[in-house]
Amino acid sequence: MRKTKLPKPRFRGSLLSRYLLLILIALLFIPVLFPASVIGYQVVQNMAIGNALPDAGIQPEERYQTIHLEKMWHNEAKRLKGSTPEEIDRRLRELSEEYAKVDMFWVDADSHVRQPAGGRLHLPETWDAADAISYMKRYRGATQQFSVIAFIGDDEKLNRGFMVMQVSKAAIGPRDGGLSARESMVFFGIILLMFVLFIIVSWMFFMNMRRRLLRLQSAMTVQDGSGLPDPIAVRKSDEIGQLEAAFNGMVDRLDRSLKREREEEELRKRLIANLSHDLRTPLTVVRSHVYSLQKEQLSERGQELLTLTETKLGDLAGLIDNLLSYNLLTSGKYTLHPERIDVLRIVRESAAAWYPLWEKEGFEADIDLPEGPVYWMLDAQWFRRILDNLFQNVVRHARSGQYIGIRTATDAAGGLAIVIADKGKGMQASSGDKGAGIGLAIVGFLTREMGLGMEIRSAEGGTSVMISPAAGDEPGLKLR
Amino acid sequence: MGIHLLYIEDDAEIGTWVNDDLKGRGYEVTWLQNGERAVDHAAGCRLVILDVMLPGLDGFTVGQRLKKAYPDLPILMLSARTSIDDKLEGLQFADDYVTKPFHPDELAARIEVLLRRSGSYSSEALALGHLLVYERENRIMNKDTGEEIVLTGKQFQIFMYLLRHLGQILTKEQIYEGVWGDPYLDGDKTLMVHIRYLREKLERDPANPEIIETIRGVGYRVKA
Repeated sequence: MRKTKLPKPRFRGSLLSRYLLLILIALLFIPVLFPASVIGYQVVQNMAIGNALPDAGIQPEERYQTIHLEKMWHNEAKRLKGSTPEEIDRRLRELSEEYAKVDMFWVDADSHVRQPAGGRLHLPETWDAADAISYMKRYRGATQQFSVIAFIGDDEKLNRGFMVMQVSKAAIGPRDGGLSARESMVFFGIILLMFVLFIIVSWMFFMNMRRRLLRLQSAMTVQDGSGLPDPIAVRKSDEIGQLEAAFNGMVDRLDRSLKREREEEELRKRLIANLSHDLRTPLTVVRSHVYSLQKEQLSERGQELLTLTETKLGDLAGLIDNLLSYNLLTSGKYTLHPERIDVLRIVRESAAAWYPLWEKEGFEADIDLPEGPVYWMLDAQWFRRILDNLFQNVVRHARSGQYIGIRTATDAAGGLAIVIADKGKGMQASSGDKGAGIGLAIVGFLTREMGLGMEIRSAEGGTSVMISPAAGDEPGLKLR
Repeated sequence: MGIHLLYIEDDAEIGTWVNDDLKGRGYEVTWLQNGERAVDHAAGCRLVILDVMLPGLDGFTVGQRLKKAYPDLPILMLSARTSIDDKLEGLQFADDYVTKPFHPDELAARIEVLLRRSGSYSSEALALGHLLVYERENRIMNKDTGEEIVLTGKQFQIFMYLLRHLGQILTKEQIYEGVWGDPYLDGDKTLMVHIRYLREKLERDPANPEIIETIRGVGYRVKA
C-alpha cells in the first residue's frame, strides 16, 4: 500500500490542543477558579459599596474587620504614648464616633476606669487585678464578643494604664462569621455560571466537531453523475480538516481510476467490435470457397466433411455475432424503448421468420398460441433479439430432439407466460458446441433490462424456457 | 439480357465470388469497389447490393445518395456489422439487410424477393402448382382447365401480397395491415373469410390447400 504523506497538523488550532485546554480549565476549577470567584465577588461587592459611600477613606465594612480593628487599636495605643489622660479621653471619644459599634474604655495608671464616650458597659469605678481577670474571663472567652486590650504607648513597662475596645461579633457583621444567605446565593450563582459556561463551551466544541463530521458523512453519501462523491471544501487545518483533505484525495484517486477503467473498457469494446468485423470478412471468404467446393465433384465423405465445415462456419459466425451484440448491449449504447405491445404477435412474426429453417432442418414445429392479444411492456427490437437467440440455441444445441414447441403457460403469479421448449439432450449434456453461453447471456441481459422473468428448466428430455413479466419478482435469469 | 444489378464491395475476394455467383445465376452485374460513382452507375440498374464498410464514403452515405437519386431502386445492405443500430440506420433507406458471412443462396433469395416486390418480375408468368400468374395483367390461369380464375379486388390484393413475399410466412396481422392498410383488430375474422373464398377459387382441393399453405399457429405462406 502506498501512503500519501499528509502534512502534520500544527498543535495550535488542532482539536487535541483545544481538548487539552478544556481539560485544563476543568482541572483549574478548584485551585484557581474558586478563589478567583471569591476575589471577583469581593471586587464586585467593594465596587458596589464604594459607589454607595464615595468619600470614605476606609471602607466601613473593612473597618470592622477584626484584623483591622486589632491593628488600629494597637496603633492608637502606641500613638497615645506620653499623652495626658485628657488627651487620651479625647482620642477615644473621636474613635468612638468613628467606630460607633465598638465600646471603648481605658484604665489609667491609678486603676481608674475611664469611659470618655460613655457606654453600654457596666464597669467598676476602679480596676484592679481581680477585675482584669474577671473581665478577661467574661469577654475574652466569650465567642459572641471581640475585644482588644492594648497598653498605652503599646508598652507594658510604661505602666501608663491600658485601653480596651470591645465589640459584639454580631455587630461587626458576617464578614468574619460566614456568609449571609443573599451573599452565598450570589457566590454560588457565580460558581454555577462558570460551570454552565464551561458546559456550553464543551458542548459547542463537541457540536462543532459533530457538525463537521456530519458534513463529511453527507459528502460521502451524495453522488454526482459519475457515482463518485464530490470533494468538499477544507476550511480548517485540524484533524477533521486533515480527514477532509484525505477524503478529497481519495475521491480524486477514485475518479482517476474510474476514468482509467472506462478507457480500458472502451478500448476492450472497440477491440471486440473491430475483431468481430475483421473475423467476419475472412469467414465470408472461407464460406464462399466452401460453397464453390460443394459444386465440385466430391466423394461422399468429402461432401460430408464439407457440410460439417459449413455448419461449423455458421456456428462461428453466430458466435461472433453474439459476442459483438453482447459487447454493444452491455456498453449501454442501446436505450430501451418499452411500449405496450402484443407479445404473441412478435412471437408469431419471429416464428414465421425461423420456420423455413426449422423445416429445412426437419424440426417439428409445434406452435400453439392463443388468438387474443397479450400486451406486455416491451421493446420490440429487444424482444425479437431474445427470441432469435432462443430459437438459434434450439437449432444449434437441441438438433437431436427435432422439435420446437412454442406455447403459452401460466406462470407462478397466474399471468401468461411464453414457453419455448425443445426435446434436445438438455443443457447439462454437451452438444459438442459451447456456444449457448453467450447467447443466453444476451437473453439474460435483455430480459433483465426489460423487467421480464425468465425460468429455464433443463433435463435430459429437453429444455424449456419460460418468459413472463416479472410481477414483483426479481427479474432476470433463474436456472432450475 | 439478364436483370442488371449494381454491386458495391471493397473486398476483392468476396467481391469476385459474389460477382461470379450472381452472374452464374443469370444476372448482369456492375461491381464497384467504392461508392464514389455509385449514383452514376445506378442508372438502368434494377437493384443495388451495397456493402456498409467501404473506403472513403461509407455504405450508409452511398445508400442515402442512391435513394435520393432513385427513390424506387431497391437497396440490399450487405455488412459484417450486425449491431442493432446499424440495422436501424441501414433500414431507413435500405429495403433489406444481409449480414456476412452469408450463404449465396440466401443472398439470391433476398434479391429475388426484392425484385418481385418492386415489380421487376411482372412481365413474366409465374408458375405456382397448377396456376400461372401474370402479375402485370392481373390475370391468373388454371393450367388444368385452361380457364382464367377471376378474383374479387380484395382477394386479388391478398394473393398479390402473398406473392410479393413468395416463400415467406406472413402472420395474419402482417397480411391484414399490408392489404387493408389499417391496424389489425384483434379477433377480426375478415381475413380468414377472404382466405377461405380465395382458396375455394384457387385450390384444387380447398380442404387440403397446396397454393396457400397454413402454418399452424403462425400464418400463411405461398411457396415458390
